Amino acid sequence: MVPKLTLAAPHEAENQIELSLKQSFESLEPSLKPPFSLTIPKPDEYTQLNHAILHAILTQPQFAKTHIKHLHAIVTDGYATFVNLLLKIIHHLYPKLLGSVKNQLLWVTNEMVRVSGIGYDALLISLMRHIVGGDFSDDNLWLCTKLVTLLLGKWDSLLEEASHVLCSGLYVFLRVLADHCRLNGEKFESLKHLEVNFCVKIVREEFHLCLKIGRDFIRLLQDLVHVPEFKSIWKDLMLNPTRFNTLGFSSVSQIYCTRTSSRYALLRITPEMETQLRFLLTHVKFGHQKRHLMWFARKFLSELDKETVIVDIVRFICCAHHPPNEIIQSDVIPRWAVIGWLLTTFRRKNYIEANVKLALFYDWLFFDERMDNIMNIEPAILLMVHSIPQYVEMTNTLLEFLLLLLDNYDMEHKDIIVKGVSSAFRLLESKGVIQSLHVLTSCPTLSPSLKEGLSKLLLSCGIGKLGSSKESLPVPIQPGQQMV
Amino acid sequence: MIVLKDIVPAAQNNIDTKFIVLEKGKITLEGQNKMCLTLVADETAAVHFQLWGDECDYFDSGDIIYITNGIFSYQRGNLVLRAGKRGKLEKIGEFTMSYVETPNMSEIHWIPDPTNPKKYIQEYVVSPHSRVFSPIL
Repeated sequence: MVPKLTLAAPHEAENQIELSLKQSFESLEPSLKPPFSLTIPKPDEYTQLNHAILHAILTQPQFAKTHIKHLHAIVTDGYATFVNLLLKIIHHLYPKLLGSVKNQLLWVTNEMVRVSGIGYDALLISLMRHIVGGDFSDDNLWLCTKLVTLLLGKWDSLLEEASHVLCSGLYVFLRVLADHCRLNGEKFESLKHLEVNFCVKIVREEFHLCLKIGRDFIRLLQDLVHVPEFKSIWKDLMLNPTRFNTLGFSSVSQIYCTRTSSRYALLRITPEMETQLRFLLTHVKFGHQKRHLMWFARKFLSELDKETVIVDIVRFICCAHHPPNEIIQSDVIPRWAVIGWLLTTFRRKNYIEANVKLALFYDWLFFDERMDNIMNIEPAILLMVHSIPQYVEMTNTLLEFLLLLLDNYDMEHKDIIVKGVSSAFRLLESKGVIQSLHVLTSCPTLSPSLKEGLSKLLLSCGIGKLGSSKESLPVPIQPGQQMV
Repeated sequence: MIVLKDIVPAAQNNIDTKFIVLEKGKITLEGQNKMCLTLVADETAAVHFQLWGDECDYFDSGDIIYITNGIFSYQRGNLVLRAGKRGKLEKIGEFTMSYVETPNMSEIHWIPDPTNPKKYIQEYVVSPHSRVFSPIL
């Protein structure tokens, strides 16, 4: 019997990718042993041989060295076919792969990096996506260990050929370090040590890569200031930016003003989570979302520790899922409603909740119409406005948090933040995402001190007069009226 | 493949369709065998679906199931869809399917077609939604 790649439950349909690998392996098995054929395969035979060899490598660890030599001997396309197959397996099957197959997958990935197989950078990034925030299972920690070791081991060649992989690695490991630094115990020490080493090495030696990430680099770093190595980095960033020896870098404000590419938000969501979130936000009707939300929570948020992944989900929804107008104007559940639901799923009120709100408002703080996307800030305003009729506590909490950020997030750069937040408000109003800011400033159920704080902010930037016409009643707009 | 709104009770194992499991009832014992009533649906209709034996353990709400050679017929007075002895169930995915909860094909009163007594036709709707599993709003 041909060995399996995945652990399939009874009644589960066989996956097509696994099936085609298995069939190629079955039909070519005799030719996978030395002496190897010297004839040059035709294109379709070549593809099939790639399938068969990959299946053999993944399922026969004891002969893996022979199989990889075979691959090196037959390869004529810079490993593009082989790497593409690996990508498909990682994207569609990774969570279901057997432990031994995962081990082989990491081994063969290492080998593809060593020979610079075409597309190996995508391979590494696609594996990083399977590191899950808030997941402390052995499987997840194993993948962290394997990948951080690989990145450190191939440092020089990655730096030279694929520095964006190091940027991605930095983003992933800064994020999961925030989880791992809350853990104690021998078991985690060596992993933490590797992750800290890797991140510090990039920040201290290749600071230009941090600049490429943009403002979310600061958001993640901030969560680690209690770790001594990062504390000193933080101090230098604030007080001594020249320490980073990077031409043209003189202040953290430069990082604040660089929008982080949505690729990074995507990096913190597994493909399975992405599929479900995109389905939810494209097909599920508002008012009929309860079951889908329940299933999503059961699968991805069931354990208490897993709640930190909500930060990543909110970032994904704000920055990486921008629905087209036909969806915005339809009866599909809007992004703000899903975020509102996520904000109410916490069973522990703590630092995670603050981090989720920060994720929701982060692009507000440094908003610049010329380079930022209004879709990143749209969910927060709509959540605040739509919550007024029935859930005004949500509006109060969010507005209070935003005003707190204004005063306390970074006092040295308060001018930038005031400018960012007020221009966010201004654009949201002028583009008609909300009819008028009046809906907030004269909302009878909103806390008077918050209304005062908001009015002050708007006045200080000369936009207090906007929307002050008394005819425009504070009526929240309907989903169908939203526009962008 | 047929959609759920088009299924008609018949003593034949000929229904090929795809649906998502919305809810699972309690697993009960029917003699030696386990049995479980579920609510399933596709984009056109919902129906009561009966799991049998080990099927009860391997399917959960949110699962998308493909059924081949299923049967839609009366079992002890209840109209249910099931795989039966000749049918086959396969889990082909999860989550990514839209559904409606009304009409529910099990909550329709069917009568023999006066022009063709071998066939059933709809007489009236007993309930727009399942009376076993109430809709979640």
